[in-house]
Amino acid sequence: MEVLLFGLIAERAGARTLELSAASTSELRVRLAERIEGLAALSYAIAVDRRLVMGDVPLNGSEEVAVLPPFAGG
Amino acid sequence: MSGTKPHRVRDIFVEGPIDAAFVGTSIAKHATRTDIGAHEIFLGQVRADAIEGRTVEALEYSAYREMAMERMTAIREEAFAMWPSMTCLHVHHSLGTIKAGELCFMVFASAPHRAAAREAVAWVVDRVKAELPIFGKEILSDATHVWKVNRSVDPQGRPTDL
Repeated sequence: MEVLLFGLIAERAGARTLELSAASTSELRVRLAERIEGLAALSYAIAVDRRLVMGDVPLNGSEEVAVLPPFAGG
Repeated sequence: MSGTKPHRVRDIFVEGPIDAAFVGTSIAKHATRTDIGAHEIFLGQVRADAIEGRTVEALEYSAYREMAMERMTAIREEAFAMWPSMTCLHVHHSLGTIKAGELCFMVFASAPHRAAAREAVAWVVDRVKAELPIFGKEILSDATHVWKVNRSVDPQGRPTDL
């Protein structure tokens, strides 16, 4: 699946998207850490179909998945 | 100024700073709505914070626009449910580079009486800052940058300071 990256996370990855496969958000976190150096030290949330998800959520590959650093609006 | 419908998805984002003249025009557009008795406006301005001897010269905003619009629609609906007398609510947020001293955020509510407008604006400002996926890079005077943070999330995505 194509994972959308934003802000600091996109900067660290050197890309706005990453092509990854993961069957759950837990696995996604592992795959992301393999691809983005220093990710473990960063604060980020995962959005599935434009909603923040907590804990481990299964993924079937058709969702819109995004990795979001802390918000800074306003 | 159309009769504001809380269900409509509006694009809140504008490229570049919010012009002070735009704020004036926004007020003027409500002159025909004579049921309004109070306007409340919040304006966010980029502050030249000092960070370890350097100064913030500008903020560079980006956003996950699709999610931000969906969250904004939900916040609008909630606001109109909480303050049903509110006549209209307008929210604008900048994207791109906004220099210190320029406006980057506007929340404008109108109602027959001041309490609803005042309370709604304070509430919407807080919700936008906490819930919309907007990201800000603070450009410093030595050409380095740091990422602005409104709130932190732990590795499971839970807010740690709300």
